[in-house]
Amino acid sequence: MATKIHAAPAASTGDLAPPRSWRRRDPLLQYGIALACLLLVAAPILPIIYQSFIDRPIYEDGQALTLVNYANLVGAPEFREVLGNTLLFAFLSTVIAQVVGLVTAILVGRTDVPWRHFFGDALLWTLFVSHLVLALGWVIMYGPSGYITGYVMQLTGGQPWNLYTIPGLSLAAGLSLAPLTYLYCIASATQQDPALEEAARVAGAGPFRILFSVTIPLLRPALVYSTILNFVIALEMLAMPLFLGGPVGLRFFTTFLYERGFEAPVKDYGLVGAAAVVLLIVITLLVLLQNRLLRNAQRFVTVGGKASRPRLLRLGRLRWAAFAFLLLYFVFGTGAVILGLVLRAFTSFLSPLVPLVDTLTWDNWTFIFSYPVYVRSIVNTLEIALVGGALGTVFIALVALLVHRSQWRWRRQLEFVALYPRAIPGILVGLGAFYAVTLMPFLGGLRNTIWILVLIYIMRYLPTGFGAVAPTLMQIGHDLDRAARTAGADWWTTCRRILAGLIRPALLSCFAILFIHFIKEYSAAVFLYAPGSEVMGTVMLSFWAQGEAGPVAALAVLQILVVAVFVVVTRKLFKVKIYG
Amino acid sequence: MAEVVLRDLVRRYGEVVAVDRVSLTVADREFVTLLGPSGCGKSTTLAAIAGLERPTSGFLAVGGETFFDSGKGVFVEAEHRNLGLVFQSYALWPHKTVQENVAFPLQLRRIARAKQKELIHEALALVEMESFADRYPSQLSGGQQQRVALARTLVYKPKVLLLDEPLSNLDAKLRDRARTWLRHLQREVGITTIYVTHDQTEALSLSDRIAVMSKGRIVQLGTPHEIYEQPADPFVADFIGTSNFFTGEVMEQAGGRLVVRLADGQAITVEGGDGMARGSRATLAVRPERIHVGGGTAGSLLKGRITERAYMGARWLYTVEVGGQAVRVETEADLASGEVALGLPERDVAVFPAPAAG
Repeated sequence: MATKIHAAPAASTGDLAPPRSWRRRDPLLQYGIALACLLLVAAPILPIIYQSFIDRPIYEDGQALTLVNYANLVGAPEFREVLGNTLLFAFLSTVIAQVVGLVTAILVGRTDVPWRHFFGDALLWTLFVSHLVLALGWVIMYGPSGYITGYVMQLTGGQPWNLYTIPGLSLAAGLSLAPLTYLYCIASATQQDPALEEAARVAGAGPFRILFSVTIPLLRPALVYSTILNFVIALEMLAMPLFLGGPVGLRFFTTFLYERGFEAPVKDYGLVGAAAVVLLIVITLLVLLQNRLLRNAQRFVTVGGKASRPRLLRLGRLRWAAFAFLLLYFVFGTGAVILGLVLRAFTSFLSPLVPLVDTLTWDNWTFIFSYPVYVRSIVNTLEIALVGGALGTVFIALVALLVHRSQWRWRRQLEFVALYPRAIPGILVGLGAFYAVTLMPFLGGLRNTIWILVLIYIMRYLPTGFGAVAPTLMQIGHDLDRAARTAGADWWTTCRRILAGLIRPALLSCFAILFIHFIKEYSAAVFLYAPGSEVMGTVMLSFWAQGEAGPVAALAVLQILVVAVFVVVTRKLFKVKIYG
Repeated sequence: MAEVVLRDLVRRYGEVVAVDRVSLTVADREFVTLLGPSGCGKSTTLAAIAGLERPTSGFLAVGGETFFDSGKGVFVEAEHRNLGLVFQSYALWPHKTVQENVAFPLQLRRIARAKQKELIHEALALVEMESFADRYPSQLSGGQQQRVALARTLVYKPKVLLLDEPLSNLDAKLRDRARTWLRHLQREVGITTIYVTHDQTEALSLSDRIAVMSKGRIVQLGTPHEIYEQPADPFVADFIGTSNFFTGEVMEQAGGRLVVRLADGQAITVEGGDGMARGSRATLAVRPERIHVGGGTAGSLLKGRITERAYMGARWLYTVEVGGQAVRVETEADLASGEVALGLPERDVAVFPAPAAG
């Protein structure tokens, strides 16, 4: 660094001053983005709340405010049953999910169980499959006339179990939710500072003592978070209660809404609205509780600066017992369910009494590719996932930039709005959007098109996508945008020219996550699809009820394939991170 | 002409007053440093000038153009101020090459491509980084990144150059060289510069004037020489360089001199101290390198005992116990432990009224 100075430019000012034409662009854009977000989130909720307080369907004239819907709901003969069933189901399935999720996370993350790397990945596979598809798989394999049920019946002579009960349903749901618990716990378990366990070891604690006194207590935030998350998902789950409880008349909150608001020939709008509001309030309170419990989770921050791997717990002779547990869980919880769908998709009839080779057929596949409704549902689903995923990613990026990368005065409130859809069950998003379209004539153009689905899917997964983008945005030093601002860029230019380039990996992840969710989604579409705008989920839902098990299974397998190929390709080609 | 005027600038965060009625005028082409410990409000003041922080109240103008005036509700956004800011972190955009980094401000200004090329070349030549134009920031050393950051700022000829601790991420050797180089550059370009640092050496060697800040206020504004030789209060005396402090009672006050008696009975004579009454308490400050070991000078003599000695290479640092108090003394002389006499020249001792005894 010599001190010789070249001929220096004179510090003349003015000739290189930044252009001033776009002086007021930022506030307009910022209010525009926030308003769009607010409208998107509020549009489905407000009509539901309003409907619950009026005495007739929302589209009829002469409405009067009333509380009679709530009285009717409480007085309805099935209300007690619905409430009791829902709570029992949510409680049982959450307990099963938490126990299985925690045990698998500790075995895979902290012990020397054989094949731990294989299980580490394989246990997450069910996360890519919709609950609707899983429900079908459970019915095919473990239902009263299921394939495995039939096998066991042949061996023992009697009905071995009944899936169509609340415990049976809870087991199916619980095992489907366990991977989420596993995901949160494993992330937390592998990030633990090994020094914390070493300290206990030095203090004289044995490996199992360390597990119960240090490792598991440190997982508490992950457990608390996933407990409430799974409880909420169980409360709002539609497919499993419908398929596993419906045939024997077991009613739950979501199936009650589905029957009364969608299937019934004469729909009681007020009652449905009131039930929806009750569900909305319960879930909102749970989500607020979750936020509150985790507010001072700081004392559980265990990530040390060093990247050393924690020492694995030696299981000794228990090693193979643990391996057997993981293998059984994987084979019967995930493998059999998917295998059942595949077998059903390639057979005309699936029963242990008939040899498989006699029933093998391509008919289900030729059927779904020749029958217009099926073809349309596949095309629509792919279109929604691709276009909606892209639009959603752009919109989520804008909201996240406004929340985390601006001085806009309402940014905290905007973040709350953007994250609120977490508390709205999918079936209510659909119901509310249905009301909104009915109410607002200018939305009429969207009606019966896939674009209304694109909108509500984006709304429903705003928090999910936000979660993929926000952490990356928060990791970028603020000096980078401050440098751009002083150099003469306004907020919008800074976002486009500086920040967008820096968060590209996060945007790809966001798109991938949205794509997968959009392929899987069905509950939000239930109230909104019309001839022409069917999606795979709604077709499975309605055609299963009509007894078309084979084609529906083929469609389910196709859905799994689409997601699997997408996940493999994006991971390999673009190094996109999906679930860690 | 780019004069910077701050009047009664205040920045509050809730109850906390980060910047407290700061007034300062920086003349055209002047180099002024805001110096103070972390949390003193210097960086917030700089961010307010840049437009990245909106002050709570006050007035700010650069080159005659009002950028902030709480009375009239004027606030000009950072991007319309045409000022240059170099960050402590350099804040080079990692996905752009050196050339692209420097080009960005010009693209924003819609400069013709040929002219852009010329300006980029000129700016990179100025910081001697022409041969690195196609590198990405991650491929550069800290010192090189810092120079690119400077080029990116100077390329659009901002009205004022704002520097936020630009040297603090460099190692000691490099920092010395960069300091000299920066001073030459500023003279050569002739740009009004406001520099923020907590490093007194940087402040003293670079600045035309220094504003020492503490708790959101400017406690002293003056040339480096004034700040060092005539600190306005004990905080400045201690923060700029180091000082030994003595507290005692004023015994005599006459002829521009003051005699202060310490707790152990020894007395120190100092220049100044006008307006301090007999019997009041005074704090005295004297720098370790201004104390003459073994006496040998006009002024007060203190008796003490060397308790610790540390070899610093060019000098020795002694800890001398005087009346139960540890006094730092720096000298080239190599002395053995034991009794020693300390000479304190009258003009090298600063005197301040002591805070009420507590």
